[in-house]
Amino acid sequence: MRVGDIVGADNVSVTRETCMMYSRDVTSLPDLAYQIVSPKFDIITQPVDVPSLQNLVWYAIDNNIPLVPRGNGTSGWGGAIPTRAGICVDVSELNKILYFNEYEESVTVEAGITWRDLLSFLERLGFTLPVYPSSATAATVGGFVASGGLGIGSTKHGDILKQVKGIEAILPNGKVVRLGQVHLNPQEDTLLEKAEKGTKWLSDVLSDMGLGTPEQESKLITGTYGTLGIITKVTLKTIPNLQLIPFACSFESMDDLVDVASKILADVQPYFLRFLADNYTSKLHTLRNLELEEGKYILSGALLNTIYQNEDDIEVIKELTQKSEGTLLDDNRAWFYWSERLYPLRIKRHGPSLVPAEMLAPLEMLPEILNRTKNELKKSKVAIEGTLSNDGTTSFMVWILDDERNRFSFTIGWYRSFQIASLAEQFGGLPYAVGLWNSRHAREYYGDQSFENLKKMKKKLDPHNLLNPVKVFGGRVTPGKISLTAGFMVGFVVALMTFMFGPALLGIDWLVQLLNSSLFLTLPNYVLVSLIGGVLGIVVIKAMTLNQALAIGIPLLRIASKILRK
Amino acid sequence: MTKQDFLEKYGQQDEPYVCASCGNCTLVCPIFKDLKWESYGPRGKLHIVKSIQEGEGEFGEDFARRVFLCNLCEHCTYVCTTGINLDRFWEVTRAEIRKRGLMPTPAQFVLDSVKSRGDIMWMGSADRLLWMEDIEEVVKGRILKPAKVAYFPGCNVALKAQLHDVARSMVKIMEYAEVDYTLLADKEVCCGAPLGWAGNFEDINEMAEKNLETILSLGVETVVFSCPSCIQTWKEYSKYVKEENNLALLTASQFIKRLLREKRLKFEEQPMVTVTFHDPCISARVLNSIQEPREIIDDIPGVYNVEMTPSQEHTRCCGSHGLLDVVDPVLSSRIAEKRLRDVTVTPATRVVTECPRCILGFELAKFTTGYEMKVQDITQLVAESLLPRSEGGDTEE
Repeated sequence: MRVGDIVGADNVSVTRETCMMYSRDVTSLPDLAYQIVSPKFDIITQPVDVPSLQNLVWYAIDNNIPLVPRGNGTSGWGGAIPTRAGICVDVSELNKILYFNEYEESVTVEAGITWRDLLSFLERLGFTLPVYPSSATAATVGGFVASGGLGIGSTKHGDILKQVKGIEAILPNGKVVRLGQVHLNPQEDTLLEKAEKGTKWLSDVLSDMGLGTPEQESKLITGTYGTLGIITKVTLKTIPNLQLIPFACSFESMDDLVDVASKILADVQPYFLRFLADNYTSKLHTLRNLELEEGKYILSGALLNTIYQNEDDIEVIKELTQKSEGTLLDDNRAWFYWSERLYPLRIKRHGPSLVPAEMLAPLEMLPEILNRTKNELKKSKVAIEGTLSNDGTTSFMVWILDDERNRFSFTIGWYRSFQIASLAEQFGGLPYAVGLWNSRHAREYYGDQSFENLKKMKKKLDPHNLLNPVKVFGGRVTPGKISLTAGFMVGFVVALMTFMFGPALLGIDWLVQLLNSSLFLTLPNYVLVSLIGGVLGIVVIKAMTLNQALAIGIPLLRIASKILRK
Repeated sequence: MTKQDFLEKYGQQDEPYVCASCGNCTLVCPIFKDLKWESYGPRGKLHIVKSIQEGEGEFGEDFARRVFLCNLCEHCTYVCTTGINLDRFWEVTRAEIRKRGLMPTPAQFVLDSVKSRGDIMWMGSADRLLWMEDIEEVVKGRILKPAKVAYFPGCNVALKAQLHDVARSMVKIMEYAEVDYTLLADKEVCCGAPLGWAGNFEDINEMAEKNLETILSLGVETVVFSCPSCIQTWKEYSKYVKEENNLALLTASQFIKRLLREKRLKFEEQPMVTVTFHDPCISARVLNSIQEPREIIDDIPGVYNVEMTPSQEHTRCCGSHGLLDVVDPVLSSRIAEKRLRDVTVTPATRVVTECPRCILGFELAKFTTGYEMKVQDITQLVAESLLPRSEGGDTEE
């Protein structure tokens, strides 16, 4: 059987161009990255229904092929890129709206629908979503739910995962499960029986392992980057689309901005609050020559409430801004920033390449983190912005602008992204996302106990690590030619040196004498030992996990960068 | 493979790197929607160009075909986060394809036709008089007559029999409003737009100049077009239009709206017609002629406009622009079918537009889908709704 027989011949592609395109996300990776992960998928598939996707999972298990689910590739944390080649499962063809009930305030969609399409459907009916991502114009519902995070609306409603009422997913063993409340029209629900069976099986397994509360069940699949299941349907909360009033204030310093933001959060509870640092606003082309905004700190946001409440709230915001010597910008500017919420990547033209780095940090630490980041990255062009959440944290997005055409400099500068994640730790924050590149921080991100549970489940459901391998839980690297050659060279040299000088240095006289005897002191022996060392070097490289590779590589890049980068 | 900086001479070498891979362009691309693989969408194609620049990809026939599978509908440019002018980018890539002799044969035919015959269909200048049949008496005094307004029907309207009524309707409107107008007739040549689509920038100015020479010699101040692409081409490539600002280039609806403002047109009550206006890509996204056609339809009593989804700046392409209709007519027709499907979910029985290519695309898609609906140019709708003179439809209040 071939993959085309399973998902339909029109829904499979193996052309070089297609495989290249689906093997990347918004981040341009330096060539060095492909020395630890594979550069391309072997096959791209676009299943059009759940049964064919289920068959594809079974096919992958039978043939021991890695499967990586992908939405529209709008994230930057490597959650959807290949690590061990294999099959890419593009879910964007699963894009129907299946159920909407205004009394239940919920909507059920297939995972591949874009947030934009879902929003425009809901807005026509007088509803909207409590949270959607800033990449809503292209990101898929499944993608954001699989990765988690803050978005538009998080200032009032929190994380996206809190908005998920239920999901349907295919587990790594091919079983269809429904976790939480998945609302569907009974007459259109062809998978009900299958899903009930699968869900029961999962519940039993969870109880056997002592993990089985429903909350833990849905946490399995949401926010874990498709490592424990491919999301196929999502039921989301909806909210009435009341009056939307955007506002924007400009400040001279981050301290003033944070001061006002905390007061606004306490007094008003706006739908959305976002900050733009001075280095961001100075790079927004459209702000050129706007005296009150270019190079200033901007706090922009929106109220989504009744007309009367909004009238009161906007007065409060005005008062708070004036007290802190900020300026409340006019409606035009407020609407401008509101529409810009979906285009944080605008500043990329200043790169032209971009290295993203993001953390979740306590709001009150923001000025200090900003200073520290500016200081750490003073040799780099950066633009900083972030979204405020309702739990006192804020996402702190650092767009590091660079030029990938300067390959050497771009490669050694790659460590900066990881540096921000480490900085988060120092300030009591967390990396914003895990994906592939932050899997080192997965334990802190999910919490000790949760991460242990997730690991147990991964082992149970996906013993061969086929579903989105290496993401979140780490795993062995896929070494490229250069890293293998480097491993060989290092092993070769180390073995040679050890053979020549080791015994003398360690003072083992009898060994020194033995080696110096004509029996051992021959060229073939030197070559043989060095070759064995080289082969061992390759074995070590192949056995290395991604986290180990990053733990060795990042400090080396940092040192190289300090010495060599202008 | 070696690195290729073929974009440097066009000043576009940064653009593939500036792309943020946000995917906005891909999701609005009509070609991607049909062929559904990223490598046919703008984001994918930009990455292929990048791989060619870096010496990893091949600048061959397959690449050339992909680049020509594009409507140049300006939608990707309109939604691009980082402000890449993607349409311009595809045009210069096509220019490089032409230089390397990798042009698809049908596109080469159009190019040769424009160069040697002055039109897109290997016809001749005398054929540009055919639309005047039956209205010879009306127009004979108008040909090359010095006047303030010139009507430029463009190749499609002047040469394709099914579109002749568009030109006749414009004449009817101008006569009704007693506009002092002139026609270039057989002195008209192609505006040069297909040259740009086929990557020949060198000769566009020359084509525009040929027309402008005649137009300016007649003392014209306003040129009215039936095809938005002609206006776009002159605005972008004609040295004269760019440097001198004394020539107004108007779409049919912009001109008709002007006549309405001057109260020179009166309409007859129509028997409850529901129409939907399909915004042609260029007039909506480039020329910003969005409100005018809607206001005209609102002014005609008994005609009601319902909006399609998507419409206005977010309009979907009809599939016929950018030479796709000659390079891959089947794909082009499938795209038109999709747009007609947008019409079928509205209560409209008629699609009104203001681009001859859209009309041709929809007529073909009507044939392939079996949808029964009338496809009209805004000019035709206006002309058939005019209040007859005998019923008081004169210009006096």
